[in-house]
Amino acid sequence: MDLHLLFQLSMNGLIVGTLYGVVGMCFVLIYKASQIVNFAQGEFLLIGAWVCWWLLTKYQLPFVWGFLATLVFMMVFGFLLQVIVLRPMIGEPVISVIMMTIGLSIFFQALMKWIFGVLPQPYPPVFTVKSVDILGLQVQTVYLMAMAVSLVIMVGFAWFFKMSRMGLAMRATSYDQQVAQSLGISVRQVFALSWAISAMVSAVAGVVVGVVNGVSSALSFFGIKVFPAVILGGLDSIVGSVLGGLIIGVLENWAQFADSQFLKWGNLYEVAPFYVLIVILMIKPYGLFGKRDIERV
Amino acid sequence: MATQALRPCGDFKSSYATDQTIFPTVWSRNFCILGVLLVAAAPFLVDRYVLTLLIQIGYLGIAALGLNILVGFTGQISIGHAVFFGFGGFASCFLNNKAGIPPILSIPLAGLMTTAVGLVFGIPAARLKGLYLAIATLAAQFILLDFFGRAEWFTGGSNGTVADPVSLFGFKFDHDESFLYVVLFYVVVLYVGAANLMRTRDGRALVAVRDYYLAAEMMGVNLTKYRTLSFGISSFYAGIGGALYAHYLGFMSIEGLDISFSIQFLAMVIIGGLGSIMGTLMGTAFMVLLPQAVNFCARALDGSAIDHALGLHEGLPFLREMTIGAAIILFLIFEPDGLAHRWKQIKAYWKLYPFSY
Amino acid sequence: MNTLKLTLLLTSALALAPSLARADYPIGHLNDFSGGTADVGKPYGQGVDDALAYINAHGGIAGTKLAVDATDYGYQVPRALSTYKNWTGANKVVAIMGWGTADTEALVKNVTDDQIPYISGSYAGTLTDPTGKGGPSSERAAPYNFFYGPSYSDAARALVQWAADDWKKKGGQGKPKWVHMGANHPYPNAPRKAEEEYAKQLGFEVLDPVVFALTPGDYTAQCLTLKQSGANYAYLGNTGASNIAVLKSCETAGVKVQFVGNVWGIDENSLKAAGSAGNGVVFPVRTAALWTDKVPALALFKDIAKNSDPSGTEYKPVHYLSGVCAAFYLKEAMEWAAANGGVTGPNIAKGFQAKANWVPKGTEGVCKPSTWTAEDHRPTLSVDLYQTQVTGPTDNGTISELIAKGTMKLNKVATIDLPRKKEWIGY
Repeated sequence: MDLHLLFQLSMNGLIVGTLYGVVGMCFVLIYKASQIVNFAQGEFLLIGAWVCWWLLTKYQLPFVWGFLATLVFMMVFGFLLQVIVLRPMIGEPVISVIMMTIGLSIFFQALMKWIFGVLPQPYPPVFTVKSVDILGLQVQTVYLMAMAVSLVIMVGFAWFFKMSRMGLAMRATSYDQQVAQSLGISVRQVFALSWAISAMVSAVAGVVVGVVNGVSSALSFFGIKVFPAVILGGLDSIVGSVLGGLIIGVLENWAQFADSQFLKWGNLYEVAPFYVLIVILMIKPYGLFGKRDIERV
Repeated sequence: MATQALRPCGDFKSSYATDQTIFPTVWSRNFCILGVLLVAAAPFLVDRYVLTLLIQIGYLGIAALGLNILVGFTGQISIGHAVFFGFGGFASCFLNNKAGIPPILSIPLAGLMTTAVGLVFGIPAARLKGLYLAIATLAAQFILLDFFGRAEWFTGGSNGTVADPVSLFGFKFDHDESFLYVVLFYVVVLYVGAANLMRTRDGRALVAVRDYYLAAEMMGVNLTKYRTLSFGISSFYAGIGGALYAHYLGFMSIEGLDISFSIQFLAMVIIGGLGSIMGTLMGTAFMVLLPQAVNFCARALDGSAIDHALGLHEGLPFLREMTIGAAIILFLIFEPDGLAHRWKQIKAYWKLYPFSY
Repeated sequence: MNTLKLTLLLTSALALAPSLARADYPIGHLNDFSGGTADVGKPYGQGVDDALAYINAHGGIAGTKLAVDATDYGYQVPRALSTYKNWTGANKVVAIMGWGTADTEALVKNVTDDQIPYISGSYAGTLTDPTGKGGPSSERAAPYNFFYGPSYSDAARALVQWAADDWKKKGGQGKPKWVHMGANHPYPNAPRKAEEEYAKQLGFEVLDPVVFALTPGDYTAQCLTLKQSGANYAYLGNTGASNIAVLKSCETAGVKVQFVGNVWGIDENSLKAAGSAGNGVVFPVRTAALWTDKVPALALFKDIAKNSDPSGTEYKPVHYLSGVCAAFYLKEAMEWAAANGGVTGPNIAKGFQAKANWVPKGTEGVCKPSTWTAEDHRPTLSVDLYQTQVTGPTDNGTISELIAKGTMKLNKVATIDLPRKKEWIGY
């Protein structure tokens, strides 16, 4: 047992887990509002990261402006996507809606490859200090920024859902669409807005990962990794998704630890979250914080 | 109404048996037989390229039919069909290489082995439905694929494994011209099998589970049994498809068995029409021919102004993927019942032409 | 209802069948522009494409043109196999320019049966034995498989050799530690046995391999375990895109390991993406010159490059040069066949084996002399090792500018001449 390594890996897990948490949050937001499981969540990261990269390198915008412009773009993009493609799917069976988001995912992944190529592209340096030392682990500054931004987003979400009019409307909609509609809430608006916010916040995660590893099609894999996180946390719990993300992040790294020290399988790191996923679905399908309304059959 | 309108005047059903017949009219059966004969004559009529496509449609169509039984008839969602397809391929190679069972027997045996695996995965899956089942099968996709990559004794590990051609009494089906008949045989047997399955008590039970599980349960349908059974049947079809694929290529590896392959199967079923047996074959044909059509169009435009403006030549592989995505999206929006439904409408239209009332 | 569908299907399929001109020599070109190895598949494939176009524009093979059918198979074995089936139909190709490890392995039996010379982008050691009984580790015969450059195994042995020398030179104490890194996939796995065996022979302690996927991602966890294991030399078995992700993650994790890479492990494109993290990686280069070197033969390569880049200003990475070389070896083998009994598969294979230590005309000083014989398909055992050098930020400017400014550099560190041992054939 190498405790130092275990500690470092756990730290790393928490950092990566925050990102999973942010993406998970976006995923849950869409699910809560419109009951759609979004298989194209990873593509939001991808598109956001590429657009930001393009603004920064092609137009040499300062990072802050490029980043803000990306957020605005993604908001509009998410909104339009819902209005044009997903609105006709309201009332269709689950399988059709799932396939729709899968179709979108295939389409945009290929489109991004076509436009921006297959080579990973580096971001221009955003921070003067690339990494800081936290308890013996070198942490990229951008990860710290990501954690800070994620916290801000999480607090923002909490405020939005607890205090703001629109947030309350969204909660009401997710609770019961018909009642919400009869109370004068525009359910259509709520759907569109949830997609817009989700796309925007995902783009934040996309840019962060892009700054760390460069932008490439691998970003869209976050969209798959997010499933274990949200199922663990409960599909309809925003707090749960953040926690689920953190747990999965740490768990992944512990799997790597166990693998490298004892098992020597080689790739437990990649599949461990999916084993967890199966186990959770068997024993506690509503997750840690989800509503217990899933029928066991 | 469409099917009724196609029936000749005076052709009434007077028993349940006639109501459930696979071919509503004599001619629909004759056309089907003619179609099979036409494919059987294909090696003498067309070149190898078309044969390759026909064979692809064959083995993919078998696996897709399995998925349609699961998704279209029982209402269970699976995003992991490709690994069962792969399991069938590996199992057949394993039986052939390690146990010395000739491919002609190892293919159906591989189907049975895959059924067993499908049942194992189906038992827990029967407790979940809809969305949660979809996510569980997604996890199964990754876990099984990882298993294939490491189980060298079974799959040959990451290097893959070789597969002998199918042979019968010393005759080797190792060319497209001959292998077509092997695939055709399985397609006919398994498609007729599926059509008949849906006429039995068990088949109706599956449909009842799909339509409303509570009602089905009240009528005495054992939900767990039928959900698991449906997984098993679907895996059997996937396994046979995979085994045919392995012996056709002469090689089986984990490459290509990834999630996008699973999604392709789903796309075939959706585009063909959920719950339609003939539609599955149409959907498969559509998905196999679509990339070829894109290639063809890009080739036709090669060197033209559009080509230069868009960089079609460079972007061709991405364009192919995009059309697959776009096809799924457009079908879901404009033709959610798939090609089978569209085909019925076309038939009805011409039957009644020009008085379509 | 079935008939109509089938006739429709048949007619549409018929209409789609590619039509190749009969009089030309049909050549298949399998490339990966979109799949898992597109990062390196693109420059190599482009090199092959441009070279074949150049050959056609300059008289073809003894006056007959090549009908090249280039297909992007996305690094998917099944697609490679079905493409191969198309190529061996009515208008059978006389030779194939191939690509990946897994698909080349899967096709060995087919090309041997069909007698089609297959010039792969895979340099796996298993392809080097034309007889099947060359060495103790030979598994099967691959008489129609050719490639240009040192085999993966030989390149890895050269890297082990270099690492052993480097360890001595730096005055390292005790047993140095060697670790293999890469995905669980035929391509990264191909040299592993040879590499680890040779490392043990030269006194290395060989650690358990570190696995990371063929796609880029965050590999901090792998880097932390690498750091903890105390490895001194780490072999990167994947292609550029995922290797640089590891290099970057390891840079931040503070891993002090000498990285060595596979032939496809790093190039100018990935170096630009890696930035400072890519500094100091040692890897084999297959050509005797780089794009910006002063070698007369490079003028030909620059002419060839005008096919895909009419401006002629773009910097072409090492893989591009190798692609052109591979295509030119095929060209001369075909010319030999044309002069000695006609352009058929077996004759082209003989064309490869007709000369010893040969270089295609006009490419002297760029392509390295290669030898193929009927018993041994290892073209060369002399491996040039280069080390990357990055002195500044690489995110601004194109590769040509960065190279011109000297921000990115490839420096030759050693040429390792391995003995042509018989027991090394075939793995």
